[in-house]
Amino acid sequence: MLCLLKSAVVGLTNTGRSTGVQGVLQSHLKVLSAGMKTYEVPPDYSEVVLPERPKLKFLNKVPNLKKARKEMKKLRDIQGPAQTANTFTKGQYGIVALGGGYLHFGHMEMMRLTINRRMDPRTTFARWRINAPYKPITRKGLGQRMGGGKGSIDHYVTPVKYGRMVVEIGGRLELGEVEPILKEVAKKLPFLAKVVSRESLAAMQQEQQDMEQNNQNPWTFQRIARGNMLGVRKVLSPFDLHNHGKYSGKFHNPGRV
Amino acid sequence: MAATLCGRLLPKQGWLPLTQSVRHGSKAVTRHRKPMHILKQKLMAITEYIPPKPAAPPGALTPRVKPVQEESGLVLLLKKDLQTMFQDCKMIAVIQNNATNSEDMLLLKHRLHKHGIKIKFIPNQVMRSYLADSPYINMGPLFIGQTVLFVSKEPKVKEMLLSLRTSPQMVLLGACIEKILLSRQGVLNYAKLPSVTVVQGELVSGLTMLTSQTASMLQHHPAHLSLILQQYLKQQAPAGSTNGTPGESPPKAEETA
Repeated sequence: MLCLLKSAVVGLTNTGRSTGVQGVLQSHLKVLSAGMKTYEVPPDYSEVVLPERPKLKFLNKVPNLKKARKEMKKLRDIQGPAQTANTFTKGQYGIVALGGGYLHFGHMEMMRLTINRRMDPRTTFARWRINAPYKPITRKGLGQRMGGGKGSIDHYVTPVKYGRMVVEIGGRLELGEVEPILKEVAKKLPFLAKVVSRESLAAMQQEQQDMEQNNQNPWTFQRIARGNMLGVRKVLSPFDLHNHGKYSGKFHNPGRV
Repeated sequence: MAATLCGRLLPKQGWLPLTQSVRHGSKAVTRHRKPMHILKQKLMAITEYIPPKPAAPPGALTPRVKPVQEESGLVLLLKKDLQTMFQDCKMIAVIQNNATNSEDMLLLKHRLHKHGIKIKFIPNQVMRSYLADSPYINMGPLFIGQTVLFVSKEPKVKEMLLSLRTSPQMVLLGACIEKILLSRQGVLNYAKLPSVTVVQGELVSGLTMLTSQTASMLQHHPAHLSLILQQYLKQQAPAGSTNGTPGESPPKAEETA
């Protein structure tokens, strides 16, 4: 588009010059009467390399295992903050989880179909930041009497913790172009989720750090819990000792340090 | 759970419920969040984040400097006019103008014009700023609200009061007459005084009367003495010698008188 504009402008000036000296003067006058306008410098996308397959990959509904083993609930895998995949890798915009929860195949299909359908594959690419469902969830069959041991595997899910990226989108585009798509997806997820860009995510983390540094309350959760003041450890779990009351189960308590 | 529900539902003593729940059927929510231990609740409450006090805004500590407004040309012109007015005019009356309509104002203007009194509308702000650095600074409090100046070169107070009597919505506040600041009552008293020429005439006549009186009194005593002496001589003359005196005729005249 820019090239087209440029060529059009060049063509116009050429025609002006062909008329002679007067024509050049006139064109100068015209420019002056039109005034100056400073345009914003367009973002530089020179380093963006689109992958071969820009769309979201299909994720298997069931992992390819030799022997499917039943597992325990292991609720630890949705508690607390995510230690992995909590920063951007390739893209510029994405969805970040603001709570813990399980994503199952239906959620992934929803995300994949919505994003693949709405995005422009010539300028945009999307990448998963979650794995295909791998955690088995067991259920007893319908109408079955209780007892008789653990039920059979019903479906598989992917556990997601607070702060984990779910999907990343990158390419030659700005946030405004993908925000509606990502927002639409984010509100359908089974936990609170937010659309972020690299800058806004960094700002979020920086804000949390600033809060921790500038806290004017001398009594912090960590200090009291470590010192076991008034025997408070009796009612605190090891999870609290790690996270200092920032999380309760899979939920995040915003505004705490 | 039942205890908490009862605690929630049972009203406090001495308090009549304003609204009563009418739902007694099945509950939609059967799972409740596990209540936090009271000690942990207290811990969470005292370890809340306290933000640092915001620094004073830059304008708060330094005294606010009012931008020095350059007086516009119109204001300067008005001030110059005022200066000439205060020099030339002997009567400057300040009148409060309570919503006089233009017709009344025109009539009043005509009536005053007959006596050579002009009506001047000068903004109070200009007036006050002029009075602030002039010897008439005590006139400042008169200029509040809608004010009008009656100006004339001769102190025609009586005429002004007469024409003011016809327009009751104009209220006399005070006046500066012959460089003397007068209140409303002072102006009224001033109007009752006779004119200067009459007073001067009275003064002159009084003074001349006194001098003439003194002169006459000074002349009176020697004349009286001479008369008495003449009388005495006349009385002595017939007794001692009958030679006629040159002052024979005046005693005769006196006797006849």
